[in-house]
Amino acid sequence: MQKLFARRKKYKTLDDKALVELAADDKEAFGELYERYLTKMYNYVYYRTGNTHDAEDLTAKVFHRAMSHIAAYVDRGLPFQAWLYRIAHNLVANWHRDQGRRKIIALDDFVAHSLQSEAPDRWTEEQEEQKQLMEAVRRLPEDRQQLLLLKFIEQLSNAEIGEIMGRTEGAVKSLYHRTLLALREDLGRHEDIGAARRLSGKEG
Amino acid sequence: MDSHADAKAQDFVDDITAALQQGNSPDPLLDLSDGAREQVVDLVSLIQDLRDTLRPVEPSAEFAAHLKTQLLESEAGLVARLRKMPARLHVAAILALFAGFSLLLSRRLFGASAAQDISEEPVATAL
Repeated sequence: MQKLFARRKKYKTLDDKALVELAADDKEAFGELYERYLTKMYNYVYYRTGNTHDAEDLTAKVFHRAMSHIAAYVDRGLPFQAWLYRIAHNLVANWHRDQGRRKIIALDDFVAHSLQSEAPDRWTEEQEEQKQLMEAVRRLPEDRQQLLLLKFIEQLSNAEIGEIMGRTEGAVKSLYHRTLLALREDLGRHEDIGAARRLSGKEG
Repeated sequence: MDSHADAKAQDFVDDITAALQQGNSPDPLLDLSDGAREQVVDLVSLIQDLRDTLRPVEPSAEFAAHLKTQLLESEAGLVARLRKMPARLHVAAILALFAGFSLLLSRRLFGASAAQDISEEPVATAL
């Protein structure tokens, strides 16, 4: 038992590369990688699926798949997390294909904790704004959604995002700019549609 | 927008995002900018909204613990443990497999010939 604790302690000090090499034969090494990346993978999947149930289901699949393929992992000079994100990305894409629809994210969970200290009327207003923004984010193409999640949730640099998405740093910067412009346009368009609907409702 | 102005706008948006993520005000950047300012100034509130909306969430402790247990006790773990076993156990397992396969093969061969013998025996029929 003491040996196990000593080994676990040692794993905490190892970098990802060393852990990946050990993880092919050693479950405890994989356990350490799991601890490091669980929250990242969960966040990514949660925002791409929009609910806790599917986020947990897909996160579990990410790690099961990673574990079953880790012996065949080839270090191509990219960070280990790029490989995990690639697995998560593929699983989420399959999930969307299976669903045959794009679910709108349930904001209840995270809006509640981000705005709970606000006054109730302000809270409702901001909740509605955030809901509209999330809906607009989820109307974006997959790669743009991924970029926003990596930038705002994981707070990764353009270089790190580029490694994960297989793009250059400059391409990421350019895609980010175009994403913001597209998002602004989409929000404006939906705002106009909403205003027109409200107006026609009043007249009717 | 020409490519130079485009690149400038991209840099500007990127710098503003970094400033907002670090909790700094984007105003000094807005003051310093020239032509790019008009093109991106209305994006600042959008970036702020994204920062406020896309916030990290935590998986439940129960889920995290359950999944870890599942992973560490999964079949792949069993395979890894088998691979670590001494060589003599591997040899014994191979011999056992070979013996089992031989037994199945012999039963199939001799069982088939015995069945053939039975089918060739004359069958008494009641008239």
